[in-house]
Amino acid sequence: MSIAIGETTLATVIAIVNDLTQDWGLETGSPPNASTRLSADLAFASVDIIQLCVALEECYERRFGFQDLLMRDGSYVGDLTLGQLADFVNIQLNKHERTS
Amino acid sequence: MTVQTLFIGLDGATFTVLNDLTKQSDGPPVMPFLAKIFAGGVRAKLRSTPNPLTPPAWVSLMTGRGPGHHGVFDFIRAEERGDDVFFTLFDSRDCRVETIWSIASRQGKKIAALNFPFTAPPPKELNGFMVPGFVPWRHLRRNTHPSTIYDRLKAIPNFNAQELAWDFEQEKQSGDQLSDHDREAWVSYHLPREKQWFQVAEYLMREEAPDLMAVLFDGVDKLQHQAWQFVDPAYQQGELSDYHKRMRELSLSYFRQLDGFIEQLVTAAGPGVQVFFASDHGFTASTEIVRINAYLAEKGYVHWKDLPEGDAGKRRDNSYFAFLDWTKTTAYCRTPSCNGVTIRVARKPGETGIAPDQYAAFRTKLIRDLEDFKDPKTGERIIAEIHKREDVFPGAAMTDAPDLQLVLRDFGFVSVKNRLPAVEAREYPVGTHHPDGVFMAYGPGIESGKMLGRRHITDVSSTLLYSLGLAVPADFEGVVPPAMFTAAHKAAYPVIIGASTQSGSQEVQADSMSDAEKGKIMEQLQMLGYME
Repeated sequence: MSIAIGETTLATVIAIVNDLTQDWGLETGSPPNASTRLSADLAFASVDIIQLCVALEECYERRFGFQDLLMRDGSYVGDLTLGQLADFVNIQLNKHERTS
Repeated sequence: MTVQTLFIGLDGATFTVLNDLTKQSDGPPVMPFLAKIFAGGVRAKLRSTPNPLTPPAWVSLMTGRGPGHHGVFDFIRAEERGDDVFFTLFDSRDCRVETIWSIASRQGKKIAALNFPFTAPPPKELNGFMVPGFVPWRHLRRNTHPSTIYDRLKAIPNFNAQELAWDFEQEKQSGDQLSDHDREAWVSYHLPREKQWFQVAEYLMREEAPDLMAVLFDGVDKLQHQAWQFVDPAYQQGELSDYHKRMRELSLSYFRQLDGFIEQLVTAAGPGVQVFFASDHGFTASTEIVRINAYLAEKGYVHWKDLPEGDAGKRRDNSYFAFLDWTKTTAYCRTPSCNGVTIRVARKPGETGIAPDQYAAFRTKLIRDLEDFKDPKTGERIIAEIHKREDVFPGAAMTDAPDLQLVLRDFGFVSVKNRLPAVEAREYPVGTHHPDGVFMAYGPGIESGKMLGRRHITDVSSTLLYSLGLAVPADFEGVVPPAMFTAAHKAAYPVIIGASTQSGSQEVQADSMSDAEKGKIMEQLQMLGYME
């Protein structure tokens, strides 16, 4: 799958999630959007989250340090929306822009 | 185009078992085709990496370099952060050196690599096909190369991605101490898995005829972890229960099936192909539980943290990761599979651990204390060998290795749990990794009926490149075993040492996984026998 330049980060996250889940036989009713939850709505297990993180890093060709997203105040978050994931990636990309 | 080199990986295969299964005893051998390979080819014991474990060993086999260079030491990379330790799964991007798949690809050879661990995500520049191992079926599509191959595989009659791939849900159902019923189900589970990989290999060989066709059958390892007492000839003496006999027959049916797959692949590859077999390590029996962190606590190196109240405390108590007080702990074992001890050094202001200038004296005392870990009944040392990391992991990645690499007297993997006694006999023997695996070769230009002296796991990659007609990179640690090939073949095709490898993967940064993720992975490792 190729990601076109200019697509928003959220669109990229959604495209990757769609690509990732195409064989899973999910019956979600509506297409994924910013408020779709990885665990509650898409039945992501822990290994699926690892794979999604790897897929995003592969897509942007850099490591994001997802521990900063997955852990808050010393505890691990219970679930994440695609919007939260996209926001985090966006922040990391902007940080990278500023420092490069 | 025809296949030039066929490589069949047999995870955990050992001559202790294979010699028995290729023997004519009361009836025909369980593995008659492998017996033919023994008679018509060359074989040798193959010494694994210092910690004979799937990640470092297969990556060494695929790169021709030791773990100190490639940097993959374990399933999990641990990183201390503040009051906690974060654990990250290793993947292909963590390998710092070039693999034979890439080396062969960039020299125009078409490759197919099936079910090898740490090949996901696959490299972008690859001439051929890669279907990685250790990946759940839901992620196979994204991790296969090229992306179009997955739909082609789905069109293979009876292809079933869920049977083929690493099934976390299936494997988490069982622990190390399996019931008889679950152990039987566990062995049965691997019969269809291997058939799936065989079908994919047969399909790619027929349709694509890659120059290098490589497939790994990993059921040997998984079966032996749980069913060692039914396959090791040493445990087949005396009065055997009906359950034992049934389990042995079930286990033998696995090897019988595997022999058939090997025969069909070798036959399909054609008479001109050179065939190689190797395992990442061998197998033997582990008879005791060694709680290394409990022992280190007795000696004052490990300090346990008080468990929280309620469910959180129960979860922590059942966790496979040590719950330690980092302000006081100075040396500990991170994971059961690492079989190592990490010394905590305070390298920056505010960090806990020993002062850097105390390191040498501290490590010497630690070694003495580990040497003093003895069987209370016999006085025998529990830890047979203690290696300093600079001695066994030289290379740019050495600082990621445990400071001390341990070899237990029964070759078992340690437990990191907070339980006593520190050493205890197991209820029944379980399979564990032995440092000597297998290496075999068969085909034109290869000697016949020879047993060579022990080879090293890094020799496999040199040999495969040589078989493909490629130069062996100058920085490879392994060599082409001279006695493996006939004099005429060596005269016609001399071994050429060529340019060094190109750089491997990108720089690694840390990321983390949730407790749930840690749990999943550790359930996997427990299933494989790396847990108490």
